[in-house]
Amino acid sequence: MSKLDAIIEEFQDLDARDRLELLLDFAEKLAELPEAYQAERDAGLHRVPECMTPTFLWVQCISGRVSIHAYVAPEAPTVKGFVSILVDAFNGTLPDEFAAAPADLLHRLGLAELLGMNRLRGLNAVQRRLKNEIGKAAVLAVET
Amino acid sequence: MTEFIHPEVLVSCDWVEQNRSQTDSIRIVESDEDILLYEQGHIAGAVKLDWTTDLQDAVVRDYVSQARFEELCAERGISNETIVVFYGDKNNWWACYAFWVFKLFGHEKCLIMNGGRKKWELDKRPMTRETSKYPRGIYKAKEPNNSIRAFRDEVLAQMQARKPLVDVRSPGEYTGEMLHMPDYPQEGALRAGHIPGAVNVPWSRACDDDGTFKSRDQLEQLYLVEQQLKPSDEVIAYCRIGERSSLTWYVLTYLLGFPKVKNYDGSWTEWGNLVGAPIEKTYAYKK
Repeated sequence: MSKLDAIIEEFQDLDARDRLELLLDFAEKLAELPEAYQAERDAGLHRVPECMTPTFLWVQCISGRVSIHAYVAPEAPTVKGFVSILVDAFNGTLPDEFAAAPADLLHRLGLAELLGMNRLRGLNAVQRRLKNEIGKAAVLAVET
Repeated sequence: MTEFIHPEVLVSCDWVEQNRSQTDSIRIVESDEDILLYEQGHIAGAVKLDWTTDLQDAVVRDYVSQARFEELCAERGISNETIVVFYGDKNNWWACYAFWVFKLFGHEKCLIMNGGRKKWELDKRPMTRETSKYPRGIYKAKEPNNSIRAFRDEVLAQMQARKPLVDVRSPGEYTGEMLHMPDYPQEGALRAGHIPGAVNVPWSRACDDDGTFKSRDQLEQLYLVEQQLKPSDEVIAYCRIGERSSLTWYVLTYLLGFPKVKNYDGSWTEWGNLVGAPIEKTYAYKK
């Protein structure tokens, strides 16, 4: 079972209230942004433009494996929690694995019903953006 | 400083801190964009109200029924005479939205905490993760008061009569540039631009950096002088889904005392999808 499948299963076993608690746990365990990236963040680089919340992603492919660093503003724990799930599930995997992740991930996690249509849009955009970035990083890694 | 026209619907963080223990008569309600903020920490004694899962019908695009509204109030220990103080994230968008829905169902004593979560946190005031449970309230909701709510046909009539329409979205959304930015989520509308004749006054111009409202003088300068609106005008405010415009509705109605303002909750996600609806687009792609 992939790490993502395990996370999905964990969410699906919970009722709505506990799913929020688990998402908050994820939000709180997203690693601090390494100092090396902080200047870029402060300069507004690597920001996800589709997201109203200040959200930043750094994606690289190192020795064929995905490496993601992320920063999400503390006033948006929901976005932070979702980014943290993606980082947790895909750091260290092969780039193709992210491409194969279900596009309806938020539904599978049981979060879609808690978010409603309008909020769903922004979060789906984060997943799409990350997919594109991983795709680009993989191509770049092959070229160099 | 000149007082707002209806200062009684706005309270400070200090007031909330001093009065929050009077839970027999006062209920503090947090309403946020982010579904986890309340869980992450809230004002002690506050209850959570979600604008999607609590206030909107799950099937039809509309608000909950009167019966459901009565139940959600009762569950939170809110009775008809309870003073309800709203606060939330994003400069109180959702707090104003919840305030507006409460007014729709005829709740009398609604207040906004000036500055919302942002100001509370900037002041480094205490927050807790403990949730509070109150004895059930006794609630009887009124018939929805549609004098504060605009439906699409009224908006069309307003446009044709050249009465004021205030588009409170960002300039990029108003001009129609937004849907053309690569990779930008489609914001739920098929067409971009604004309702013909609408003026663009982004909601944010009514707020200071700390989340509090600007002073009456500044607000009058913006709406009365710059936009040439008159308090006697019938005004319809809209945005994308009616949340940012409920903040503008609140500002015009209570802080500046316009008695005839409506919020168009269908907003751009309805208008921009409506077959045949007239649209003005001022953005033109330049290479």
